[in-house]
Amino acid sequence: MAAFGDGADVTVVAGGTILMPELTYGRLQPARALLLTRTGLDTMRRENGTVHLGATLPVAALEDAPEPLASAARHVADPEVRAQGTVGGNLCAAHAAEAPRGDLQAPLIALGARIRSTGSGGERTQPVEEFLAAAPTGRLVLGIEFEEPQAGAWAALDRPHAHDYTALAVSACRGADGSDHLAASGAAPRGIRLAAAEAAYAETGDAGRAGRDAVRDAKFADDALASTWYREQMLPVLVGRALSQLEEAA
Amino acid sequence: MNLTVNGVEARLVSPPLASLLHVLREELGVTSPKAGCQQGGCGACTVLVDGEPRRSCLVPLATIEGARVTTVEGLGRPDDLAPVQAAFHEGYAAQCGFCTSGMLIAAHAYVERGGTDERGAILEALGGHICRCTGYAKIVAAVSAAARGDVATQAVEASYEPVPGEPEVLVKGSPA
Amino acid sequence: MKAVGARLPRYDGLAHVTGRTTYVDDVRVPRTLWTKALRSPHHSARIASLDTSRAEQHPGVRAVVTHEDVPKNVYGHLEALGVPGDEPLLAEGEVRYRGQPIAAVAAEDEATAREALELIEVEFEEREPLFDIRKAFDPGAPTVHEWGPAFPHFGPHDHRRVRKGDVDAAFERADTIVEGVYRPGAIEHVPLEPQVALVVPEADGRLTIYSCTQAMYFSMGVVAQHLQLPLNRLKFVGGTVGGGFGGKVDTASETIAALLAVKAGRPVKWRWTREEEFLASSTRAPWHIELADAVTKDGWILGRRTLTLHDAGAYTRFSSYGLTKHAFHHSGAYTIPNVHFDGYVLYSNRVPTTAMRGFGVTSVSYAVELHMTRIAEVLGIDPFELRLRNANRIGDTTPNLVVLKDPSTVPVMLAAAERVGIELAPEYRAMTSEPRSGELLPEHLAGAVSRTNGKEAG
Ligand SMILES: Cc1cc2nc3c(=O)[nH]c(=O)nc-3n(C[C@H](O)[C@H](O)[C@H](O)COP(=O)(O)OP(=O)(O)OC[C@H]3O[C@@H](n4cnc5c(N)ncnc54)[C@H](O)[C@@H]3O)c2cc1C
Ligand code: FES
Ligand code: FES
Repeated sequence: MAAFGDGADVTVVAGGTILMPELTYGRLQPARALLLTRTGLDTMRRENGTVHLGATLPVAALEDAPEPLASAARHVADPEVRAQGTVGGNLCAAHAAEAPRGDLQAPLIALGARIRSTGSGGERTQPVEEFLAAAPTGRLVLGIEFEEPQAGAWAALDRPHAHDYTALAVSACRGADGSDHLAASGAAPRGIRLAAAEAAYAETGDAGRAGRDAVRDAKFADDALASTWYREQMLPVLVGRALSQLEEAA
Repeated sequence: MNLTVNGVEARLVSPPLASLLHVLREELGVTSPKAGCQQGGCGACTVLVDGEPRRSCLVPLATIEGARVTTVEGLGRPDDLAPVQAAFHEGYAAQCGFCTSGMLIAAHAYVERGGTDERGAILEALGGHICRCTGYAKIVAAVSAAARGDVATQAVEASYEPVPGEPEVLVKGSPA
Repeated sequence: MKAVGARLPRYDGLAHVTGRTTYVDDVRVPRTLWTKALRSPHHSARIASLDTSRAEQHPGVRAVVTHEDVPKNVYGHLEALGVPGDEPLLAEGEVRYRGQPIAAVAAEDEATAREALELIEVEFEEREPLFDIRKAFDPGAPTVHEWGPAFPHFGPHDHRRVRKGDVDAAFERADTIVEGVYRPGAIEHVPLEPQVALVVPEADGRLTIYSCTQAMYFSMGVVAQHLQLPLNRLKFVGGTVGGGFGGKVDTASETIAALLAVKAGRPVKWRWTREEEFLASSTRAPWHIELADAVTKDGWILGRRTLTLHDAGAYTRFSSYGLTKHAFHHSGAYTIPNVHFDGYVLYSNRVPTTAMRGFGVTSVSYAVELHMTRIAEVLGIDPFELRLRNANRIGDTTPNLVVLKDPSTVPVMLAAAERVGIELAPEYRAMTSEPRSGELLPEHLAGAVSRTNGKEAG
């Protein structure tokens, strides 16, 4: 943590699955690098209804995590990349020109997760959305925690190949307090909460309404995976699927 | 920095953030891992790091200090092939051969940890590997054969001598 | 003949499975320099100025080349066959596709070569690019080449023609005209081995060229021409290709690496990145194919009119050859007595296109097979029956008047029907490739089949 200081000029290297191509092709020339290997942050603990994930927990280890995190994790890349890439790296993944990245951001938002990070001003714990909104450079993520939900569900467009990112996915979650939460990846540069859809569902219990309202939450863009038009058509469908799975699981 | 590569200990001078692929190919001259994309997208560079398959182009050297690295050169020799190697050879699972090193490493790790001949499980295990030549059918068949232990221990050899009393075939099991 | 039908082990199989096959990138020569190329960031532009002097002075840089260093800069892949060359090795005055090489640097290592690229100063005047070849003939369409939108060297024509029989009469006699437009897209070959070359200047003045080419002697000729060296100064080492699928028929990396090796007097390797491979390596061409068939209600094709536009990309390379193959196969595996074919090779500001698995033929097969099914749908006939009736028989003639001796359409169709479990009527199941007669030789085909049933075509 001391090596990170206020984070200025420090490139944090976790699994390296995003960073290494940047280094290899000379697009990134770090002044200083901080390696997170062997920092002991690669654990998952479940205690008194709270799940604690260390920042360097490999994505592969999330296959036993609560839904919708487990399903989302199983659909990240392939087993080799999942074994190397970390949850912290996924959370901090910057949006790429050709595709949204960071497929675990949305399930963590739906789970109401809190991010524990350090940097200038010291350690701080804040909700995922707040953390992501502040563009997480200059922060070193230490861990992530959330309450065990009552139920969770994940619905996504199929990937044609393990190397493709998921073009669009919806995470749904019924929290410990019984409230329902929705978030999406692929609907904006980073994972986002579907606030309008959540409100509509809470008010009317109508998944169709929630789906249509979800489009208002989105900030779609055309990229290599899908067009704005296609995502607009599919978001309501996925919201509907995620909610019906959630009701089944609850 | 130190690594043990195919059983031989190596002291390295590459910078700490050099990729393992670069270290193997350019510093150590171990060329079976291929630089197909250097961005994690093809699987041709896959090697075993402490027994686990890893894309060597994505592994920063400093993160595996002291590790045991195994490449295809370390799996088996022509006269003593690992089961997956024999199965690939026998089953024509290597065409141009450029993806083969990575495929073999992933397949070897799969078979070693007790993977079965179930197609879905094999596809999942090889999911990160691209082959542009074979269409995958022969690769999956070879991994299945290796998982069943259904491979000859000796490499296939052509014989041009007809066996007396048997139909004239060049290779045992030939459909000819 | 002992090998036919036998299961032979691959001669290179053991080397592949033990990781011992030596591909070009695996060859190790001491003191090898790394190469990086400055590629056009624009689809179409005039090069207003080009200055490499700062790159040349950069520490660790051993050679920089531009078009001025190439003994013969403009050459064509088909020049040996009499087709004038049109493609510069390194861009001169203008760039016609994004990714086109303008200059190249050989340096002690990859990072230095990359830095040197940043020091090359180029000024471009961007122009409007042409991407849609259907607009190539429009007045005011962007110009790719001064001589016009099409490849102009098909004999006296600017397009490939095939004329057989009397198409107008066929269309007059037809019960129905079935039309269709088919547009197979570009495909990148994505060989797992990216384009790579290693060139070693030898003490005896020869160049040893380790090449991933699929076409050794073509590539040798191309390098010899650009460098203006006799063939006996070049030693090509090749044959171990990490996948090509047609994409490595073009000579893409050897020549520039050779130029740098000569200039630096050192071994030079040029390995493309995957990104360069996608951006700048040739692709299978996109095509635009329009078909109109004159058909009878009982399922005979009397005549076909075809217009094909072949997108060559920015330069010709092998496109005219691909279009010619396309033209000769444009009736597919079927016999059509009257055809009228016009095909154009058109230029666009896309990456130059090239061979890929069935160069020129796959595109027309795709169109023809979709069209056959469309005809069957329009006529309400079974698509297998339509195909089997019109299928090539011994003695039938192709559009370019080749008399068929051993056509395989009928047995292949029958096998396909069986595999997918389609029950054919007995008279169709009994069909063979034997010369047409009776029901299968209607009046409109009488003049179109060879009386000698192909026996003279040996
Ligand atoms: C072939 C392939 C397919 C992929 N498919 C997917 C996919 O389907 N879905 C998906 O979401 N991702 C995918 N990825 C991207 C990536 O593998 C994952 O997102 C992975 O979880 C990233 O984690 P990492 O530890 O490897 O990140 P790193 O490369 O180590 O880091 C990524 C970024 O996060 C920063 N960072 C890392 N850890 C921390 C920390 N603790 N605190 C602060 N900053 C940190 C780094 O500085 C860097 O900017 C794919 C990658 C490849 C190569
Ligand atoms: S070179 Fe490592 S995955 Fe392609
Ligand atoms: S054998 Fe050529 S890519 Fe797999």
